[in-house]
Amino acid sequence: MRGSRLLWAAMGLAFVAVSPLQAQPKTTPHPVLSGYERLFADEKADAAAGGQLLLTELSCVNCHRVDGGSAFLQRQGPTLTDVGARVKRSFIKKFISDPHAAKPGAAMPNVLAGLPEEERKDAIEALTHYLASTGTPKQERPDGKQVGMGGDLYAKAGCVVCHGIRDGSGKMITMIPTHAPKVDLKSKYTIATLAAFLENPHQARPSGRMPGLLDGKEAKAVANYLLQGIPFAGSPAPKTKGTTNFSYYEGDFGQNLPDFSKVKAKKTGVGQAFDLGTSPSRSNYGMVFTGVFQAEQDGEYAFHTASDDGSKLIVDGKTVVNNDGVHPKTSKSGSIKLKKGVHKVEVQYFQGAGEDELEIEWEGPTVSRQDFSNWVAASEEGLNNKTPVQAPVAKADEENYPLDSKLVAKGKSQFGTLGCVNCHTGKDADKAKPATPLAKLKTEGGCLANEPAKGIPFFGLSGQQKASLAAAIKANASAKPASEKESIARTMAVFNCVACHVRDKIGGVEDAMNKQFVTTQPEMGDEARLPPVLDGVGAKMNPTYLDKILDKGVRDRTYMLVRMPRFGAANVGHLSKDFRAIDTIEATPKVDHTLAMPKVKAGGRHLVGAQAFGCIKCHTFAGKKAEGTQGIDMAVMAQRVTRDWFHAYLLDPQKIRPGTRMPSAWPKGEVFLTNVLDGKAITQIDAIWQYLSDGGSAAIPVGMNKASIPLTPVSSAIIYRNFIEGAGARAIGVGFPEKANLAFDANDLRLAMVWQGAFIDAARHWTDRGVGYEPPLGDSVLKLPNGSAFARLESGTAAWPTKSAKDQGARFKGYKLDKEDRPTFLYSFDDVSIEDVPDAKPEKDAVHIRRTLSFSSEKEVTDLYFRIAAGSKIESLSNGWYRVNGDWRVKIEGGEPQIRSAGAGAELIVRVPLQGGKARLVEEFGW
Amino acid sequence: MKRFLLASAMLFLAATCGYAQPKKKTAEDEYYPILRFDLPKGEVLEGGGLEMMPDGKVAFGTRRGEIWMVENAFDNDVAKAKFTRFAHGLHEILGLAQKDGWLYAVHRPEVTRMKDTNGDGKADLFETVTDGWEINGDYHEYAFGSRFDKDGNIWITLCLTGSFNSSSKFRGWAGKVTPEGKFVPTTSGVRSPGGVGFNAEGDVFYTDNQGPWNGTCGLKCLTVGGFVGHPDGFKWYKDPAAKYLGEAPVVPKSKSRQMIEAKKIPEFYPTCIMFPYQKMGNSTSGLDVDLSGGKFGPFQKQLFVGDQSHSTIMRVFLEKVDGKYQGALFPFREGMTCGIVPARFAPDGSLFAGGTNRGWSSRTVGGKNFSLDRIVWSGKVPFEIHEMRAKPEGFELTFTKPIDPKTAGDANSYSMKSWTYIYQADYGSPEVDHSTPKIVKAEMVNEKTVRLTVDGLVPGNIHHLVSGGVRSAEGAGLLHTDAYYTLNYIPKQ
Repeated sequence: MRGSRLLWAAMGLAFVAVSPLQAQPKTTPHPVLSGYERLFADEKADAAAGGQLLLTELSCVNCHRVDGGSAFLQRQGPTLTDVGARVKRSFIKKFISDPHAAKPGAAMPNVLAGLPEEERKDAIEALTHYLASTGTPKQERPDGKQVGMGGDLYAKAGCVVCHGIRDGSGKMITMIPTHAPKVDLKSKYTIATLAAFLENPHQARPSGRMPGLLDGKEAKAVANYLLQGIPFAGSPAPKTKGTTNFSYYEGDFGQNLPDFSKVKAKKTGVGQAFDLGTSPSRSNYGMVFTGVFQAEQDGEYAFHTASDDGSKLIVDGKTVVNNDGVHPKTSKSGSIKLKKGVHKVEVQYFQGAGEDELEIEWEGPTVSRQDFSNWVAASEEGLNNKTPVQAPVAKADEENYPLDSKLVAKGKSQFGTLGCVNCHTGKDADKAKPATPLAKLKTEGGCLANEPAKGIPFFGLSGQQKASLAAAIKANASAKPASEKESIARTMAVFNCVACHVRDKIGGVEDAMNKQFVTTQPEMGDEARLPPVLDGVGAKMNPTYLDKILDKGVRDRTYMLVRMPRFGAANVGHLSKDFRAIDTIEATPKVDHTLAMPKVKAGGRHLVGAQAFGCIKCHTFAGKKAEGTQGIDMAVMAQRVTRDWFHAYLLDPQKIRPGTRMPSAWPKGEVFLTNVLDGKAITQIDAIWQYLSDGGSAAIPVGMNKASIPLTPVSSAIIYRNFIEGAGARAIGVGFPEKANLAFDANDLRLAMVWQGAFIDAARHWTDRGVGYEPPLGDSVLKLPNGSAFARLESGTAAWPTKSAKDQGARFKGYKLDKEDRPTFLYSFDDVSIEDVPDAKPEKDAVHIRRTLSFSSEKEVTDLYFRIAAGSKIESLSNGWYRVNGDWRVKIEGGEPQIRSAGAGAELIVRVPLQGGKARLVEEFGW
Repeated sequence: MKRFLLASAMLFLAATCGYAQPKKKTAEDEYYPILRFDLPKGEVLEGGGLEMMPDGKVAFGTRRGEIWMVENAFDNDVAKAKFTRFAHGLHEILGLAQKDGWLYAVHRPEVTRMKDTNGDGKADLFETVTDGWEINGDYHEYAFGSRFDKDGNIWITLCLTGSFNSSSKFRGWAGKVTPEGKFVPTTSGVRSPGGVGFNAEGDVFYTDNQGPWNGTCGLKCLTVGGFVGHPDGFKWYKDPAAKYLGEAPVVPKSKSRQMIEAKKIPEFYPTCIMFPYQKMGNSTSGLDVDLSGGKFGPFQKQLFVGDQSHSTIMRVFLEKVDGKYQGALFPFREGMTCGIVPARFAPDGSLFAGGTNRGWSSRTVGGKNFSLDRIVWSGKVPFEIHEMRAKPEGFELTFTKPIDPKTAGDANSYSMKSWTYIYQADYGSPEVDHSTPKIVKAEMVNEKTVRLTVDGLVPGNIHHLVSGGVRSAEGAGLLHTDAYYTLNYIPKQ
């Protein structure tokens, strides 16, 4: 039967004959209601049920009252008591003039469409004045730094599900029929007002169709993302205080500020003083800001910089604050004596990865410590300019003309007489205009007419929508739901829950949107990515927890990037009871534990730990990371779900959640750990439940805190092949009993690092799955040049090649170990075989690493070079020693090393002096 | 009989340690008891690779990069086993093979062969045999290796980067290391392998795990030029080492079915055995073939496959239909001490299996996080379905013992369900395309064989047969009533 898909419509309603539909031209932007488009836009769908949705979603029942009261799920239009402070005046006017032109697909009817032209124009003007009189939108400077975060949130947190796929610049690239109507946001909002709306959408739209998803910081970021390029009325004019010249550079500048004079700027200009938002990138960039400022008196001036990463502040060519280096936001100060007058300031800044921040303050004889950016100007001319900000830039007249109090009063009156007040709360608005009660409506003409008529709102309905409404009116479908099942289905359609969730085989993620649902734990599969199926949710969730979820949203599935938003208890809170009325699960009898409760909990703790079922391998616990995938936190489970569900799920996960990766610890009820507690599944599950009932205050499960596993060479050396930070993925660590260590990079045939003291902690690689690179455990880590250690050069002045050793024909051939496991590395470079014997040698100053390299070749090779060191500075000392970077020393025997310049620094290389196919070099590090 | 008694005594001994003890004796213990080695105190031997050495020792390679030699490993008194560390320092060993006095280890960055040149019992010479693939520091870039094939090659399977993409050279490929030490990539489409080995004919098989392009875990056949499911490694067809294979295959369509795509992609070798997710484990791992000539019981030439999360060994019967391997999967042995990674038959016909649950959860006995087990045959033949062959009209079952004609010849003694999995870029798949093929007739062919006529065979589906009503001539029920046949192709005759 027709109503079988949505039972509420079939319930008690007669079959509704629908007259052949008038095909609407494709271009007609009929009102787009996501739930309707998803479930009822098809001609074969249940027309009465679809009409029922439209009755609330097009606010029909706000004028055509149901029994003189509110309808189920009645939708209140946006609150307009402060719309002037929220929406730009020009947009208010445009929207009143023709909602469907301003926002194709808008649910708001064109109330004025049927009025004679003069009357219509007057009404538009009056209403605009009235609404604009409620406030002025706050301005806020765009912050380019927030765009990336905002775009990420838009794409992943869930905005995209209802609002369409946008590219990095905020431009819409894909919309599907169920997506909410698109509006030109820049014409409607400022950054401040959009952010305020996104942070708390229910303030303006109390009926909750737009749920809350973001906190204040996130809302600001999304507003910045969506409104990229919006003209900002508060932007400083180029010739005022509060500006600097900027140069923008791109690149990975490593650990320190580069010499910007040697880097080419990608962009230059004048902008807000010291504003990193000018940079389009959030990583690997640099900026130089220059400007002038006025010292009012002779005296000492202090400057304070706070930056992430490095910065340097220079006044009149002298470095005052050096805050260089890669670091989190770090404050540094410095001071300088200045004569009264104009001085030059330059701030250099660079950013690697992570956060980027730059703040500059100053203080002096006449100024207390404060933001310096208000005192600096891009040019001397700007210093004297008294107007700190330029007049608003875009469409100034449209936003700022004086309001006419007569028009305001007229608009206020018309807000009532035209019926706006039926849907919208207005400031001091007059009362509503009466309309025919829904039960007495005809199913043609009026709002359903094809042409606008005076006094009749024009909705621009599609043929299918008209047919749906007609069917619903005939079927008297406005009634309150007759069952919980109907209530759930209607609510899920109206609030577009169906865009994410399936229940009763209705709804779920649409194919076109599937890829937008992402996770931080792809290995968990779709469970980690797609919102849960809602069948059985009433039996699963704890009532109070479910209430909380519906009211305030939740983020327990931290790996799932799409969030359950806040719909508000007043709007969807009834679902909690409805779900429970339908969903049932077999009750688990109370377990009479023979042991005292602390022992029961200890048993539960044991069961989830590493020595038993290892739940901790895939579930976090009170925020502590799991070994493998990071599944839902165990410490919130007893709060979230019912005990009955917990028992049923642990006993047979597949039955409750088909396809879940959760394994069964008691397959078919069989007990594996027969000697834990009484060896019964129900007792064991209950013990886990009791243990988890303590939430985050429960003792951490066994095996969750990993201990370190330091490898300590005692009588023999230790070889450790793994991912070693600084030596690559194919590193070979060697720890010597003498307490000096090294890491060899088998891809580049280079000694990558030497260090003193402890060797390495293997815990990273030997617990859990072994994720990531482990740095040396000891001290004085000396890092040697990246890249191949050997090269064939045309001459001693030829540049060192950047290709990897492997790509230059090198081969790592293995190693021999002596009785004490001390290695001899074996490798070849082209035709030359190399035996590399490193060893640790205690000296007076420290333990040295001494390395003997023996070369042999069948062919005559005279152009093989070995790179010993590279750094900013290399000096020759006595006895064959060299000092690198003024810091550590290296010695070479058996060849004639040469110091040469390389880029900005120096290199120490030596030609391998092969004679008769043999050569020997001895390298020694002292550090 | 003596052998069985000994084994069962050992079981009792093994039961005395750990918080939790081995579960009660199961029916399987009567036929295939598990002997559990006591590993050296204070050491962590997480199973990664196993090999049988010519001097009678068992080489046990670990995820911590060590190799231990086990002496007296074939004594049914496991207390006599002696463990000595032979090598250390390698990078997660997932394959061992010996030849000509060298022990070859397949570990993350390369194949290394080693030997003890001075006879002190410790390897002192480590030679890089090949490093023909690359690693980038991602833990998921595992390398598994086989023993030597009949031509002297070691077969390697290389897990994808993060188990999703091929970000380093030849990730998501299988290949062989020739006797000359050259890595020759042979097969694309690997995702997250668990082990690699051979069947009795010497054809190469590996196991892959549920994930993208793998609706469930599977046993797959590796052929030169073949493609086994995950297309991300196609970029390496352009690499000089793979150029001999020609152009990359057509990229499969996501959200399809394997057999639909196999028709369009000639290189595509469909999964020979699908392991129903959670029903038959959920992380297939090491495999080996029984070539013991009967020393391991009736299942000669069949494959035995481990599972890391359910800690089981499963049994596989393979046959060729339309030139491609497919076949039946049976439960064999549960209750292994820990999650199985390597499995290797010993010359005496016992099956060694190494365990580890690090990073992934496993069912364990005694809460052990790593293990070395040995399954021996007690000498008693269990009543089992020995072979299950596809026929044009249904299946033919051969049992290990003579059957009772009344029950075995009654169609009502059997029931069948079928389903398959979505072949898709998304992770895993639910069971889809469910059907209930009807067993309309069961006819005795001989005293051990029955032929089932089935209405509604679905090519591409797993056919799950439950033979609950069948009795042996002696009146016993089957030790395992479930069988899962992956019916990619229905034979024409």
